[in-house]
Amino acid sequence: MTVSLSKPMLARMFAEAAKLVREHCEELSRLDSIGGDGDHGTTMVRAVAVLEGDIEPANGASLSEMLARAGWSVMGVDGGASSALLGTFIAGMGDIELGEELDCERLAASFEAGLRAVSNRTKARPGDKTMMDALAPAVEAVRVAASSRRPIAAALKEAADAAAAGAESTKHQVARHGRAKYLGEKTLGHADAGATSIALIFRGFATAVAEP
Amino acid sequence: MRMKKFINDPKRLVPELLEGYALAYPNKVRLRGTNTVVRASAKTAGKVRLVTLGGSGHEPGLSGFVGLGMLDYSVAGEIFAAPGAPKCIDALRDACAGDESALLIVLNHAGDVLSANIAMEAVARENLNVKMVLTEEDISGPVGDRRGLVGCVAVYKVAGAAAEQGASLDECFAVAERMNRNMRTLAVAVRTATHPATGNPIFELGDDEMEIGMGQHGEAGTGRMELKTADETAEIMLEKLLDDLGAAPGDELLVMLNGAGATTLMELYLVFRRVAHLLDAKNIRLVRSAVGEFITTQEQAGFQMTIARMDVELIRHWDAPADTPFFAHL
Repeated sequence: MTVSLSKPMLARMFAEAAKLVREHCEELSRLDSIGGDGDHGTTMVRAVAVLEGDIEPANGASLSEMLARAGWSVMGVDGGASSALLGTFIAGMGDIELGEELDCERLAASFEAGLRAVSNRTKARPGDKTMMDALAPAVEAVRVAASSRRPIAAALKEAADAAAAGAESTKHQVARHGRAKYLGEKTLGHADAGATSIALIFRGFATAVAEP
Repeated sequence: MRMKKFINDPKRLVPELLEGYALAYPNKVRLRGTNTVVRASAKTAGKVRLVTLGGSGHEPGLSGFVGLGMLDYSVAGEIFAAPGAPKCIDALRDACAGDESALLIVLNHAGDVLSANIAMEAVARENLNVKMVLTEEDISGPVGDRRGLVGCVAVYKVAGAAAEQGASLDECFAVAERMNRNMRTLAVAVRTATHPATGNPIFELGDDEMEIGMGQHGEAGTGRMELKTADETAEIMLEKLLDDLGAAPGDELLVMLNGAGATTLMELYLVFRRVAHLLDAKNIRLVRSAVGEFITTQEQAGFQMTIARMDVELIRHWDAPADTPFFAHL
C-alpha cells in the first residue's frame, strides 16, 4: 500500500495525467469551441508535456522546488488563462515545505496550497462553470480522506471521482468567467473544457497510484 | 469547409510569423528570444518604456506598433492566447534594466490579466518601477468587466508620445488612463474565421446574420440580427457608443475603424462616411481618425468602431511623431 509519494511516483502521476489529456485532446478542444476558440485541447497537451518533462525524479531539487519550477514552466507555454491557472496550481503546491516524500496529510496540504494560489488569481468560484468546479472538490476529497487517515491511493481515487462529478455538474451551469461567459445560457448542456481537463489530470494521478 | 491557409507546422505558427515579421522590418524591430518584439534601436536612457502583451493571430496587432513613439516591447502569446508570466517578467526586467521604468499596457482578457498580474507581483518583489494600465473599452460588456479591443492602439500612441517627450512614469500612466477612460469600442462580425492551429471555425454565424458586440476571438456579443447596410450598421453602432460615452455637442472625438481581417477598406470607408455625417449632424467634432487594420482576427469579417473624447493634450500626443511598421506619423 502506498503510504507516501516519492519523486518518482509524483513523476508517474504527472506522466499518467499527461497521457490522459493527450488521449482526450480533441474532446477538450471540441468542448472549448462551444464557449471559446476551440484550442483548449492543444493548449493543455502543451502544458502537460512540459509538466511531464519538468518533474524530473532524478534531479536534486526538493519537492517544493520541483513543483515551483514545473508550475512556472507550465505558465511558460503561453496558453492564456488555462496554462496560467494550471501553472499557478502546480507552483502553488510547492508554496509549503514538503520534505522528501508526501504522506496523505502533506499531499492534502500541498493541494490546498495550490488551490489557494489559484483562488488568489481568479474570481471564479465553484458554480461559475470553470476549472474550479473540478479542482475545488478534488482538493476537498483529498483533505477529507487525509483527515480520516485513508491511504493515498483511496484519496486520489476519491479526488478523481469528485473532479469528474464536478466537471459533469458544469453541464447544468451557465458560464460566468472566462471567454465563455459572453455566451451565457448557450453554454448550458455542455461541460466546461477546463473542468474536464482538471478531471482528466486527477484521474491520471489516481491511475498512477492505484493498487493493482 | 476545409481551412485554406498558407501555413507550415501549426505548432510553429507563432515563432515563424514573428521571425518573418522581424525580417520584414529589420530597421524598425527585432526579436528578443522567440516571442518578444522590441525596437531595432533602443529608446534613449531615462525615458519610460512601454510594454504590452497579448495573443498572436491578430496581426499586425500588437507587435505592429513597436517603434518610435509607441511600444518598446510586445510579448506575444500563442494563437489567441496570452503569453505566460515568465516571458512578461523577462520583458519587464529587460525594460527596467539600468534603473529605467516601464508602463505595462494590458487588454482586459482573462489570460492576459492573469499573466500581467503574476508578472506585476514578481517585478514588485524586485522593486522595479512598473505601472500597469488595463484597457477595457468594449461597451458590449457591463461596466467593470469590459474587454480591451482596438482602443489599446490609441493608448500606445498617446502614452508612447508622452514617454518619448520625457514624461515621468506617473505622467505616462495618467495620459494612458485618461485615453482609456475617454474611449469606447463596439465590434460587429458578419463572418467567422478559422483558428489557424486547429482549422476549425471559431464561431458560427448564419449567412444573413451579423452580430454586434462580438469579441476579438469570436466571443459572442448580445446583438445578433439580420445583416444591415453600411449606413444602418454605422448608425446603430455609433449611437450606442455616443450614448455610452455621454457625448455632447461640442465634444471633440477621435474615431477609429479597425477591420477584422476580411472586411475591405471599401466597406470601412462606407461606414466611416456615415459616421462622419452623423457626427456633423450632432455638432460633434470629428478631430482625428484612423481607418484600417490594426488588430485582426484572421479572415473574420466585421470591424471594431472606437470613439474617444479628445482634449488638447491627447490631440498633441496623438499627432506626435511615430514610426512603427503599422502606425506612423512622420
